[in-house]
Amino acid sequence: MKALCWQGTNKVEVERVNDPVILNPRDGIVRITRTAICGSDLHLYDGYIPTMEPGDVLGHEFMGEVVDTGREVNRVKKGDRVVVPFTIACGQCHFCKHDLWSACDNTNPNAWMMEKMYGYSGSGLFGYSHMMGGYAGGQAQFVRVPFIDVGALKVPDGLDDEQVLFLSDIFPTGYMAAENCDIKPGDVVAIWGCGPVGQFTIRSAFLLGAERVIAIDRFHERLKMARAGGAEIINYDEVEDLLAELKWMTGGRGPDACIDAVGLEAHGTGVAAAYDYAKQRMKLSFDRPTVLRQVIQACKKGGVVSIPGVYGGVLDKIPFGAAFGKGLTFRMGQTQMQKYTERLLKHVQQGDIDPSFVITHRFSLDDAPEAYRMFRDKRDQCVKVVLDPWATPKAA
Amino acid sequence: MTITTNLAEKHGGKPFSRRPATSKLETALTLAAGAAISVYGVLRRDWFGAAFAGGGGYLLYSGMSDLRRPYQGRARVAFTIAKSPQEVYDFVRNPQNWGRSLREPMFEHNDDGQVTLRLGEKHGLDFKSRVELTDEKPGEYIAWASEDQRFEHRGVVHFKKAPGDRGTEISVALEYKAPTGPITHSLASLAGLNPEQLLREGLRQIKQLMEAGEIPTTVGQPVGARGLRATAKRVLYHERPAAEMQPQRMAGD
Ligand SMILES: NC(=O)c1ccc[n+]([C@@H]2O[C@H](COP(=O)([O-])OP(=O)(O)OC[C@H]3O[C@@H](n4cnc5c(N)ncnc54)[C@H](O)[C@@H]3O)[C@@H](O)[C@H]2O)c1
Ligand SMILES: [Zn+2]
Ligand SMILES: [Zn+2]
Repeated sequence: MKALCWQGTNKVEVERVNDPVILNPRDGIVRITRTAICGSDLHLYDGYIPTMEPGDVLGHEFMGEVVDTGREVNRVKKGDRVVVPFTIACGQCHFCKHDLWSACDNTNPNAWMMEKMYGYSGSGLFGYSHMMGGYAGGQAQFVRVPFIDVGALKVPDGLDDEQVLFLSDIFPTGYMAAENCDIKPGDVVAIWGCGPVGQFTIRSAFLLGAERVIAIDRFHERLKMARAGGAEIINYDEVEDLLAELKWMTGGRGPDACIDAVGLEAHGTGVAAAYDYAKQRMKLSFDRPTVLRQVIQACKKGGVVSIPGVYGGVLDKIPFGAAFGKGLTFRMGQTQMQKYTERLLKHVQQGDIDPSFVITHRFSLDDAPEAYRMFRDKRDQCVKVVLDPWATPKAA
Repeated sequence: MTITTNLAEKHGGKPFSRRPATSKLETALTLAAGAAISVYGVLRRDWFGAAFAGGGGYLLYSGMSDLRRPYQGRARVAFTIAKSPQEVYDFVRNPQNWGRSLREPMFEHNDDGQVTLRLGEKHGLDFKSRVELTDEKPGEYIAWASEDQRFEHRGVVHFKKAPGDRGTEISVALEYKAPTGPITHSLASLAGLNPEQLLREGLRQIKQLMEAGEIPTTVGQPVGARGLRATAKRVLYHERPAAEMQPQRMAGD
């Protein structure tokens, strides 16, 4: 089959690889009909996630048709149309039973690596480094899905691929980011980053009853999309002092909750940012926590800082005194996918949201290397790319 | 290293024999290997580099400190399994589950009731040692000691109800006197072959089999062109070339 493989920093290639086969009794094989590129993939592309190796198959946002199942698979059947969440979970450990699916104890074959770095290991993830399990991902024509009964969400008839594809990651991720803010009537939520995750966070905050949402980015097309979702917007490139602006917009209180939907590759200017860039370039750190510093500083007293943006290592110059002084609550982590998929599918079915709004580009799998560049450089007003692994390439 | 819990007295095991001290050559080699690994680690400048630098530092340290000491160590590992203590005990006590279902069997059981501790087979290092059960209380603990003097070890597995609905805490405390000197031991540690890591992986597999019904794996999945460096790292990721790939065999197959 064809699969998109990581071949080093800034280098991805479509290669011919073996078709996946059932390896364990609870596995299933899915023929992929649609797959997407995520902001998280950009961290791999840019070389900031350790334990990626040349030849690793990328992709963790995908859906398709079940074509084979292991002998312990009961719920999912051949022919089912399914969306697969990016966190692989066993469904039976203490964490799975307490809705902490991305903390599953039993799905990371390389748990020891993550234990060495983080103390304990999270669940395995598709296409996201050896430390996170080393599972081949879904920017390919087929994928092996371990514990398919636990993960796969069956798609009811009448919904297009593009309406449900993002239940594999970014819709639940945005939703959990908003839910983590304990939104109460009257709350003002500020969201840094209007990428795909930010867009779903904005809409989820409203679904959960936020009074106002303030969205922050510097790309016009992304800010426009945020405004279409009901948010007030700030172009941080055009304001002198972002924190003063936020204070001004919230009657001097500050936002009740601040969400970092940017993560470790935050864009920044000034001395602190220059220092972060330099450290990252010298491989002394993996993270540029510009936005994390800002959300802590901006958040109101007793407020919540919610962090869906990914961080990897040891962060520098975090204003922890401000966090302590204001008594902030921190919530973060890989999304507890299986907790949200059914609930959010209902929202899609009821027409509360059509997740396909975020798609700006459609390519064949063969065009993926070009699509990665375009998405990374935010060229051509690109917000979200969807790939069809069976289409003929545009470039030909 | 001081052993604080003397398992031998508690569980009827024998005390360890006396063993000759480490040679000067071994010490020199340890120092050299430690220095080389530290340099490699520092040059790599990523998390793995840091781990290597740390490992190299450990070798340097052990090279300097292990001059005249016989190699004796201990390992303690605990896991919580979402099953009752009796279920976990029964699973561990059932010889059927030892050799057949664990990918890295800790114990093997032959037909005449003989128990063998087996380590490192997966890494091309088949280590065997005969074991005698010295003490046991069903549902609570099992203690063992080695029968021969090549690799002396003794230990105890405890099964204890975990608080709330968390299941069972299974813990293994192991004391050993390594058959090889500190260099081999330290180098093996870097490759994840030290007794503690092997013990941890063994217990992890018991947990995975009991909770999830299978041991997660990626062996045999599709991969693209690996290139030289990533091919070298396949050992680290427990990956095998396509020719050797075969689906995992499970209990009951
Ligand atoms: N927690 C999870 O499980 C999970 C799941 C999916 C994605 N993520 C993470 O969420 C983050 C966003 O993902 P995405 O797909 O939207 O990525 P993206 O790269 O498309 O979006 C990031 C956005 O942040 C903006 N940005 C950069 N610097 C900024 C700054 N200083 N202030 C305000 N905005 C700034 C960029 O302009 C961009 O629009 C990534 O870190 C990704 O890894 C996490
Ligand atoms: Zn994603
Ligand atoms: Zn689990």
